Amino acid sequence: MSGSSSPSITLRPFRLADAPDMMLWAGDDQVTRTLRWKTLTSIEEAVTFIEEVCIPHPWRRSICIDGRSIGFVSIFQGSGEDRCKADIGYAIAAKYWGQGITTKAVKIAVSNVFIDLPDVVRLQAFVYMDNLASQKVLEKSGFMKEGLLRKYSYIKGNIKDSLVYSFLSTDAIPANS
Amino acid sequence: MEKIQAKPDKKEIDGDYSNVSLRPLDPSDVDDVMVWVTDDKVSKYCSWDTYTSKDEAMNLIVDVIVPHPWFRAICLKGRPIGAILVKPNKGNESCRAEVGYHLASKYWGKGIATRAVKLVASTIFIEWPHLERLEALVDVDNMGSQRVLEKVGFKKEGVLRKYYLLKRRPIDMVMFSLLSSDPQFEISNELYRA
Repeated sequence: MSGSSSPSITLRPFRLADAPDMMLWAGDDQVTRTLRWKTLTSIEEAVTFIEEVCIPHPWRRSICIDGRSIGFVSIFQGSGEDRCKADIGYAIAAKYWGQGITTKAVKIAVSNVFIDLPDVVRLQAFVYMDNLASQKVLEKSGFMKEGLLRKYSYIKGNIKDSLVYSFLSTDAIPANS
Repeated sequence: MEKIQAKPDKKEIDGDYSNVSLRPLDPSDVDDVMVWVTDDKVSKYCSWDTYTSKDEAMNLIVDVIVPHPWFRAICLKGRPIGAILVKPNKGNESCRAEVGYHLASKYWGKGIATRAVKLVASTIFIEWPHLERLEALVDVDNMGSQRVLEKVGFKKEGVLRKYYLLKRRPIDMVMFSLLSSDPQFEISNELYRA
């Protein structure tokens, strides 16, 4: 069989030069619907956002196809007695949905995070009931669904229930199917 | 000083343990506080290590308890025998708050913690109108505390694995919640009936 034509998915820190590509996903209400992020409205805003938020973030990566930013994965560790756990969040441009790309990116993140953040033994993700695609990403990445937290938090004016999933440093990442 | 009192449950014999009330703590309560903070059985599931001196207990009252957003003594016939607290959140998380409690071990198993949690549940949603969810996290091994929450009407939502560092060891915790919209709110009618 000759070389695969599937694109190369990689994770790397954000750069200011990612701003125009970032507009394609962070400027899309469909993508930011489930995020706390406000939809970006200009390249200037994207530059500021990358400089002031993405680059200083303790663990935020651009999901890249052939080196170009199409989304992000963020991991945010707790402090004090909560430092054993970290929240994972992610999103990609709508045009790349449904192709297993987010799952690949989450698996890469999971394989790195316990080395990068050695105090973390639990990665957790909170997902809305109606976000089936995101639930599938977590399940295919080896996360375990632990329960439904009722009226857990506000996002963009609505109080919603959240499913909670976790991946422990002792859990195994499923092999690619 | 606001005092909330539970009326005795008609189904139970009107015994010693029904006269449960909540009130703020102050430094003059240090001797009563010493009783439970020096007890290994109490500190076992709490984030703090057993206290060993009155000075330490006094510091706890002045530096932690008095300034806390919502901290009350659980009183039996007016005398503090434990504590119950509610920890609020900010911003997008302000719709939820976490309740925690502990009781001197001599008073375990008598329904006192259950009464205290019911008192908090009946008042906190009124005091904090933006609150929709009162949650509680309990060590999977702490069956007594899980029973308290079930009796009050909290719903068990799941087990969160390696969720919290208790004395530097990550523990599995059971998550419970009570919503302002949950139906088991007859306690508030009892409290405000003449």
